[in-house]
Amino acid sequence: MVLVCASVVGRANNPLYFRSLLPGGDAEILKFQYIVHCALDAVEEKVTSPQRRSGDAVESYLGLLYPTEDYRVYGYISNTRIKLMLIVDDHVARDDEMRQVFKKFHQAYVDAASNPFYTANTPLTSKRFDSTVTAKLTPRT
Amino acid sequence: MERQRRTCAETCLELLSIELVHYYAAQNQAPLAASTEAIGFRVGRQLAERCTWDRPRLVEQLDVMKFICKEFWIELFQKQVDNLRTNHRGTFVLKDSNFRWLSKLSVDLPPPIKGPPADTQGGAADKGTPRESNGALPTSPTASEAAQDYLHLPCAIIRGALTHLGLPCTVSADASALPACDFTINIRAS
Repeated sequence: MVLVCASVVGRANNPLYFRSLLPGGDAEILKFQYIVHCALDAVEEKVTSPQRRSGDAVESYLGLLYPTEDYRVYGYISNTRIKLMLIVDDHVARDDEMRQVFKKFHQAYVDAASNPFYTANTPLTSKRFDSTVTAKLTPRT
Repeated sequence: MERQRRTCAETCLELLSIELVHYYAAQNQAPLAASTEAIGFRVGRQLAERCTWDRPRLVEQLDVMKFICKEFWIELFQKQVDNLRTNHRGTFVLKDSNFRWLSKLSVDLPPPIKGPPADTQGGAADKGTPRESNGALPTSPTASEAAQDYLHLPCAIIRGALTHLGLPCTVSADASALPACDFTINIRAS
């Protein structure tokens, strides 16, 4: 599993955090932002879709959102409507593996958002959050 | 999960709550209610974030309310809400029969009457008649009034948590029967 990009999107679909380690420069970054942006529609669809059996626990992990030719986007939504997204450059990303990664990602987000100096719904600038997330991403040469 | 929970004496929270009201009441820049509400709202948001992070998603309005009444209430006040009522139109009344943050509120501190039970003998009756009628009646409005100052914070915490779980609302509290406290939540139609 090769994670190439991580992103946090706020409750009003405003970007809070975006990180990619590919050495491609601006064009590459733009491409990923575009992919994440498209995937937001898929999140909306999954969240509002009525296909829910009663009494069923609804998971935060949303699964595969949006496959492009080269990448796959996975999503996760918290109870506070924060969306976490990861772009994976791989054909087989196992769901339980992704769940684990998202749990860690979410935990890092909660820690960062609980900082008393952090204002809600503003871009995340926490160094610790950044380093935790960046450590999960796979740098490519 | 892997982290161990850190604990702290509850007295700290009580003293902090007392001092918060005391401090903002003494300040003249912003009204007490607004200042404590702002703090509470923020705390509620962060608590909601932290308490719900490993829970399945709360989709329905009732799921969120149940979460507030159970897990969130336990987290804050070490007990569950005793009674939850709703009119199914966005108003919920949460009744806590022994609200913990007010359990140590000194109810009859302001009136200087020393012994309402001891007023049976005739000695005090001849000159104390104007204020002597009953000890309990004049104290009750001041008690709930005093409690009101301390209720801004819990109300705002609940409001903050609910708002960030997707239910913008207003919360008001009624502490007229003192160990018990009613919280009325009005959810704004979205």
